[in-house]
Amino acid sequence: MADRAKGTVTSLSSIFPAEEALKASKRVQDTIAEKQRELDSILHFVADNANLINLVQRLPDELHHDIMVPFGKAAFFPGRLIHTNEFLVLLGEGYYAERTSKQTVEIFKRREKVLESQVDSLKAMMEDLKAEASFFNATAAEASEGLLEIREEYIDEDFRNKVSNAGNQNRDTPSSSGEFTMTGPVDDEEYARMMSRFDELEKEELVAEITEELDEDEQSKAGLDYLYVGHLEDEYNEAEEDFDDQLNLESSNFQAVQKGESVRGKALGDSAKVKLAEDSLISERKMNHQSAPSPKDEVSVSISEPPVATRMFEPATDSLKAFTGCIIERTDNLPMNPKEPASSKSSGSQPSKPVSRFKMQRR
Amino acid sequence: MGSSMAFKELQRELETKAEDLRKLQKDIAKNHEVRKKYTVQLGENELVLKELELLKEDANVYKLIGPVLVKQDLAEANANVRKRIDYISAELKRLDGTLQDMEEKQNSKKEGILKIQQRIQALQAGKAKA
Repeated sequence: MADRAKGTVTSLSSIFPAEEALKASKRVQDTIAEKQRELDSILHFVADNANLINLVQRLPDELHHDIMVPFGKAAFFPGRLIHTNEFLVLLGEGYYAERTSKQTVEIFKRREKVLESQVDSLKAMMEDLKAEASFFNATAAEASEGLLEIREEYIDEDFRNKVSNAGNQNRDTPSSSGEFTMTGPVDDEEYARMMSRFDELEKEELVAEITEELDEDEQSKAGLDYLYVGHLEDEYNEAEEDFDDQLNLESSNFQAVQKGESVRGKALGDSAKVKLAEDSLISERKMNHQSAPSPKDEVSVSISEPPVATRMFEPATDSLKAFTGCIIERTDNLPMNPKEPASSKSSGSQPSKPVSRFKMQRR
Repeated sequence: MGSSMAFKELQRELETKAEDLRKLQKDIAKNHEVRKKYTVQLGENELVLKELELLKEDANVYKLIGPVLVKQDLAEANANVRKRIDYISAELKRLDGTLQDMEEKQNSKKEGILKIQQRIQALQAGKAKA
């Protein structure tokens, strides 16, 4: 089993022990608390500043204020504030300046701005830290749940990335450049979806091309019929598009080509049918793989064991990053595209995928 | 017996190195603290300078020296603050330099310790076989 499966299954807890992740999360939480304290003190300053502005603005309203002057810690005596429009403002670093009420308020407003920018930066920092903490928490939870990391190799000519699975390294997988060697139903479906998308795009392209040509050379239709057919036939051979689709498309959109198309249709109908039969066979077989893994098939192992194993953590090694970060398994009842294998040639440089599957099955 | 001697030797070396590393890390932490303080001061001085520049020529500026406020010329105060900012910036730069130095040293120490640990392990493994 081990040498046939093209990936490794590692439990996440062996890479990130739950306690370690928790510890890291705790450290981040501590930092957050520290920042929170800092933020609180700054917010306190902001409030003080606002109060002060209020007071300073009100003081010059009267010529003098009767107040209780603090004397020592406990005592007060009555006094009177005069010169209510003269302030000695601390600028910082022991420097004081004599200012009027208005000027003082201006200074305070400037100070407020500085404080606000500090608050903003602190908040941003805390956001970052919170994200980090939640990541650690999630990792810890997943590790303790027994989440498994499934790595499947993206096989290229570079075999540098030796995954710990020793059996993997000796396979004589065809490694021509750019070849996809996909494993498992996940990849197959992904691939099928990709390919069907390619097909769609290609068809659209074709439509656009033809309409353009039709618009341009409306007059020489008869001559062009032949040309279209030839062109389409090339296209056909190239892309091996599904015949029925092609027919529909043409009959609805391009009456001009209809005659030639039907002639060619007969010629090609048989091969297309054969193709279709083949394809459905393949997809059927694939379905079987998914539902009941026999010892022979290559469908990767561990998918059905843990219910949580739907997410895949991107390993640290960059060489494995051919996968997107997480793979979501789909249920098997996705409509299989019968023309999926046939469409493989549309991606030109890539050798067809069914071949590699057959190779896999031989082993 | 020679191997046990070597083993002890290595262990002693490891201890001294670990001690050195600890000292270095302490220094680095201290450096960080000082840097933080200076950064705060720099910010404050910059604020003061900004305010001083906003004052008019005839404004009265005082400096608190000990318990008394001493009246100061605005231009003089301005110059003083500038000088202080320059000084603090220079100090910060210096601290950066030493910090980098210390971090390099720390890394090399760590590597040295790792090597010694490996040697000790190798020695122990050899002993276990024998």
